[in-house]
Amino acid sequence: MKWKRVAVLVTAATAVQLLLGGSRYRNIWPIDAFLLATAVVARGGDSVTAVLFGGGTGLLEDALSSDLLGMNAFAKAAIGYVLALLSLRVMFGGVWAVGAALAAASLANDAIVAALASLLLQAPVVLFSKECIWRALATGTTGAILEAARIFPWKDWWEKRRLRRLR
Amino acid sequence: MRFTSSRVDALNLRPRRGGLVLASTLVFCVLILSAQAPARGRRGSVLQSWVLTGAAPLASAVSAVSRAVSGALDSTGGIFRARSENDRLKTEMAAKDRELFQLRAELSQSGRDRRLAAAAAVLPNVVGTAPVLLIENRAGLQSALIGAGSLSGVVAGSPIAVSEGLVGRVVTVGRTISRAQLLVDASAAAGARLSRTGETGVVKGDGRGALRLNNIPTTSRVQTGDPVESAGIDGIYPRGVAIGRVASVTRGSSLFLEIRVIPAASFSQLTDVLVLAPSPAVTESPGGARSGTP
Repeated sequence: MKWKRVAVLVTAATAVQLLLGGSRYRNIWPIDAFLLATAVVARGGDSVTAVLFGGGTGLLEDALSSDLLGMNAFAKAAIGYVLALLSLRVMFGGVWAVGAALAAASLANDAIVAALASLLLQAPVVLFSKECIWRALATGTTGAILEAARIFPWKDWWEKRRLRRLR
Repeated sequence: MRFTSSRVDALNLRPRRGGLVLASTLVFCVLILSAQAPARGRRGSVLQSWVLTGAAPLASAVSAVSRAVSGALDSTGGIFRARSENDRLKTEMAAKDRELFQLRAELSQSGRDRRLAAAAAVLPNVVGTAPVLLIENRAGLQSALIGAGSLSGVVAGSPIAVSEGLVGRVVTVGRTISRAQLLVDASAAAGARLSRTGETGVVKGDGRGALRLNNIPTTSRVQTGDPVESAGIDGIYPRGVAIGRVASVTRGSSLFLEIRVIPAASFSQLTDVLVLAPSPAVTESPGGARSGTP
């Protein structure tokens, strides 16, 4: 993956996260933009890039919103590796599979962070709260919509539309 | 998913290298986490401070866009609601006129009460206001990114509040933005006092948007609806700022009551916060802000 594309993805993910998180409507559609960006990179099947990208975006997320640097970096590096392996080795695809994988990844991210926070901060383990499940659903659905947009035959659709208008 | 030639190459060459990179990255994360763990609850790391400062322009720009979009949405919604609201307001206006006479008399009385209460309470010093740029809630850890930093006089340990009540405290400070731990965070705590009975305890976040008031004995006369305010005994939060109201009281098997408190501040709707001056205990301690646990 080109570094320019990586930079664009990181900037876009940060912007989306801040745009939604800073809004009064933050709880309506609380997607994990950093996880979506990691999934986009992992989809290429290169586990090295996925791990480094996941670790980097996780570190950025930690700096913006976490007590300890490294909790989200740990989670997202591991998730990036698993998603890259899934993309490479498992014959799966389609809107539903991508959405379900992302929702599961979001839940796994929360579970890893909860475990690390419990170990290092002695924080109570809060798993599968309402907000956590809603974020997983929102992230999965957003991923599924992006996947649907990616696989949609835009060229054919545009050509058919053009011909229909000419008639 | 199709297997292209590049994917097959990657399949043959990358797995071992990917595993090594994953292991190295995870070990790196563990090392960073271990390095920070002993200093938890103190001033945020220098790296965090740098990243916050670096992210400030983007955060501010996005916040401005977010506010503009929210404003536009509100305006559009307002147009659609205006007509029905107008009719409703006309009806309400007639009722309000009748209430006005009675309210004037009550206002005079409440003004006197308020002056007395204000004189009795220790008022916290407000340093300034700050917009909320981001609120993050992950696995019970709840934090906010606010648009004020060391340039505005914010220091680690400064409490933040809204007019309804206490919100949390600043933990990491950049030049123009800072990160705060919210009171509803699963690892946050504050000294609290039941205003009606005067008993003190420790209020802790449950990570799910509510609070628990601990250390109140079973002999207490606490009731549902009792207001809870900060006690000023933790060296972080000033005394007398509203925290919330008692939502339920249950008698557990131990010596203490299990009290659930609904926060006074609406954490999901935060858009701006007031930054208060830190407690003298915070500014005097060599490590800066102390842990949220008193």
